[in-house]
Amino acid sequence: MNCGEGIDTRQIDELFINLDPIQAGGRLTVDAMKAVLAYGDGYSVCDNCSKPFRLDCIRKPPLADFHIDLANFLHMDTARLVPGARRGFQAVADVMVRPFDPVLLTAYSHYTEFLAVEQAQGVPFEIPADDSGIITPDATAERIEEATRTTGKKPSLLFVEQVDYQYGNIHPVKEIAKVAHQYDIPVLCNGAYTIGIMDVDGKDLGADFLVGSGHKSMAAPAPSGVLATTSELTEKVFKTTKIKGDLTGRTFGVKEVEMMGCTLMGVTSVGMMASFPHVKERVKKFEYQVKYANIIANSLLLIEGTKILSEFPRKHTLTRVNTTDSFDKVAKTHKKKGYFLTSALRDRGITGILAGSTRVWKYNSYGVSEEQAKYVAETFTAIADENGLSGNSS
Amino acid sequence: MSKRAVDAVFQGLYLLTDIRGVLRDTAPKHKLSSEQKTETEKIIGKLERQIAILKEELLA
Repeated sequence: MNCGEGIDTRQIDELFINLDPIQAGGRLTVDAMKAVLAYGDGYSVCDNCSKPFRLDCIRKPPLADFHIDLANFLHMDTARLVPGARRGFQAVADVMVRPFDPVLLTAYSHYTEFLAVEQAQGVPFEIPADDSGIITPDATAERIEEATRTTGKKPSLLFVEQVDYQYGNIHPVKEIAKVAHQYDIPVLCNGAYTIGIMDVDGKDLGADFLVGSGHKSMAAPAPSGVLATTSELTEKVFKTTKIKGDLTGRTFGVKEVEMMGCTLMGVTSVGMMASFPHVKERVKKFEYQVKYANIIANSLLLIEGTKILSEFPRKHTLTRVNTTDSFDKVAKTHKKKGYFLTSALRDRGITGILAGSTRVWKYNSYGVSEEQAKYVAETFTAIADENGLSGNSS
Repeated sequence: MSKRAVDAVFQGLYLLTDIRGVLRDTAPKHKLSSEQKTETEKIIGKLERQIAILKEELLA
C-alpha cells in the first residue's frame, strides 16, 4: 500500500515492537498523529500570525503559551523551538565560540556537536570517559586545564550529554557544570535522550543552555527540538536583528538572528505541542520504563556470553550490548549469517535493531508496556535456546 | 460549503487514529484486552456515524 507514488505506507510501529535506538522516544502520541493530519500543510501555523510576526508570539494555535510552558517544564527562563537539537548546538556555538577558541566536548558527544564547533572554528578538546563509561568532574577539570595550557585561552563553551547516545549512561552533569563554572565556562547540556523522557531541571543541573530533541525524545515529528537558556544569556543567543537594507532601508522587526527568524512553522511545532501534555505526564513514569529496560537486559544476561556494555542495572532505556560470545557464534554457522538474529526477531514482531547485528549493538525499549517488555525478553531467550546457546534461559 | 462534511472527515480521521493507537499499543500480536475491545467497538460505532454523515452531505 502506497501513500504516494513509490512511497510505501510506513507501518513499522503498528506491526512491530520497535526497539530502534533513535526512534523510540520520538514515536508520536495519538494526539500528535491527529495534529499531523490537520496541520500537514506548509505554513499551517501562520493563519493567525500578527504583529510582531514571530513564531513564539502566535496565540492561535497556542504557540506563545507553549514556549512559556516549555521553558517552565525545563526549569529554564526562555525556550525556543529549533529544527532538531543540532540547530540548538549550532546557534549556541555561533554566539559563544570565536575562531580558535578551545571548546570542551566529551568522548560521547554527538557528531553534530562537533560540527557546530567546527562551523564556529573552535578547537575541540574531548573529556574522556572513565572505565565505567562515565564522564567525570575530575576528568573535566583536567581537560579544562590542558585546553587552557595548550591554547593559552580559556575554553568558551563546554558541551556535556546528560545521557549519551552510545551507551545510554547517565552522566553527572550537575557536578561537571560546577567544575566548568569554577573556570567561568558556560555549559550546554545535551538532553536529546532525556528531555521528554525523564524529568529534567536545567537550573538544578547548572545548565546555561539546555538542548532537547523533539523527534528523538518528545514524541514529535522531525526535525524538531528545543533550545532553552537562562535570563542572563537570553539576549545573547536570541538576539534580534539590527540589519538594514542599504538600498531599500528595510528592517526585519524582532526576528531572532540565530533562529533565522521563525523555525518550526507547521506540522513539527503543532505535533510537538500536541504531544506535550502527554510528555509532561510520561516523564513522571520513567521509573517504569527503566524497570522494563531491566527486564529485557536481565533476559539478555541469561544468555551465556552476553554482556551489557552500558551501566547496569540500567538507569535508561537505551542499552548497548555485546553478543560476540553468544549470538555471533551462531551467526558463524547459520545459513542467514549475521542476519539470523534480526530476522528471527522480525519473524516474531520485533524490529529496530540494526540488520545484521550480532556483535555490539544497541536497542531502546522506551515506550513499551510491561507485557511487551516481557515478550521481548522471552523472545531473546527463545531465539538463544533454538540456536543451541547455553545458559540459564530455559 | 459543507462544514458538516468537513467536520465528519476530520472526526473520522481522528477516530481511525485512535484505532491506530490501539494497534500500536498492542503490537505485534494485536490481542486486545476486554477493555480495549469495548473502547474500539465504541470508536467504530462513532466512525460509522461519521460515514453516514458523509453519505448524507455529499451523496444524497
